[in-house]
Amino acid sequence: MRTQTKAALGIGAALAAILAALIILLVVNPDGDEPAASAETGEDSVLVRSDSHVLGEEGDSGVTFVEFLDFECEACGAVFPVVEQLREDYSGRVTFVARYFPLEGHFNSERAARAVESAARQGEFEAMYQKMYETQSTWAEAQVPKDDVFRGFAEELGLDLEQYDADYASEEVLARVRKDVADGESLGVQGTPTIYVDGELFQPESVQDFYDTLDEALAK
Amino acid sequence: MSTAEQVELEVRPQRQDEVALAWLLLLGGMVGLVASSVLIAEKIALLTDPTYVPSCSVNPVLNCGSVMSTAQAEVFGFPNPILGVAAFPVLVTTGATLLAGGRLAAWYWRGLQVGVTLGLGFVLWLAFQSLYRIGALCPYCMVVWAVVWPTFLYVTLRNLRVGIFGTAIQRSRLNRVLGDWHAPVLLGGYLVVLVLVGVRFWSYWSTLL
Repeated sequence: MRTQTKAALGIGAALAAILAALIILLVVNPDGDEPAASAETGEDSVLVRSDSHVLGEEGDSGVTFVEFLDFECEACGAVFPVVEQLREDYSGRVTFVARYFPLEGHFNSERAARAVESAARQGEFEAMYQKMYETQSTWAEAQVPKDDVFRGFAEELGLDLEQYDADYASEEVLARVRKDVADGESLGVQGTPTIYVDGELFQPESVQDFYDTLDEALAK
Repeated sequence: MSTAEQVELEVRPQRQDEVALAWLLLLGGMVGLVASSVLIAEKIALLTDPTYVPSCSVNPVLNCGSVMSTAQAEVFGFPNPILGVAAFPVLVTTGATLLAGGRLAAWYWRGLQVGVTLGLGFVLWLAFQSLYRIGALCPYCMVVWAVVWPTFLYVTLRNLRVGIFGTAIQRSRLNRVLGDWHAPVLLGGYLVVLVLVGVRFWSYWSTLL
């Protein structure tokens, strides 16, 4: 056999093996399509971990509104003001939980999540979360690191910058963000925002949908 | 051995190569045309209904929806597949012309060389954008990548062999080696892209394990 033929066969075999592996992964994997339709919401469930960040105060009805979010995602930025309004309108009744789900396609989204988590370590989760969305249009969609911008936010919030820098760079904070991502992935979350109301996957089409769904959950 | 036989021996494999190239252009052009047409149809559906989920949005990685709505999907101010719908029929026609016994002048082959080179350049740029900027793959687009690569390779090899780039290059050792190693080069190109896809999205593939 000619060397060229052997080489072609070798490369061809490697190609076939990789392709077959990818196809098998895609076909065999059942939860590749949609996020799980519903999930447990009890204490320390995949949806709400004991260390998950609650926005504001916990509600007393037991109804939870869990959002897997990406600070760089435009759709999340669009949902942000709605959620802020909901938090006001359902304050004290519904528990709003934010889960990190930085998407790979966004250059700065994991950095943003680390910045927010670093702020959370100084008790400023909510302020930093709001800051990220309020300023999203100024830093999102870039292909260069925005560490300095985020550090600027930390400074504006009056955080201890030495501590912030240490947290921002720490393995621990990164692991905390990735843990949320892993929970999301285990539910089959693929995009953001993915929202669960009372453990049920909620796919809103209008702002009114948010109110209808929450009212319904509260009426139960 | 008479001179006539020698000529015959040298010419025959060339003739076979030419027929194979004609089929490649014809079939490759058709596949590319179908893929581009589907992309346009999906784009129109997406434009008329923003909530439309394209048929090729299989999962977060294999997702034309997220690819089609990017700026890179309209580099020249209109959807890229319009270029495909315009250009692939040229390959189809060229392939059919050759199969019908047509002979094309050197200037035509030079023009085709410019076309396939631009095509490959564009596809490489799109592949880079898709992998490292957008972070998602669009299956129909990958069909186009898969077609443009061999088209470029074999048109180029043909032109090298025939001397379109000059006799010095035609007689060069590089040309002979390339000609001998065309199959490993072709498959190697596919392998490189596939490995890059595997590595780039490893964190996603691994969640499926």
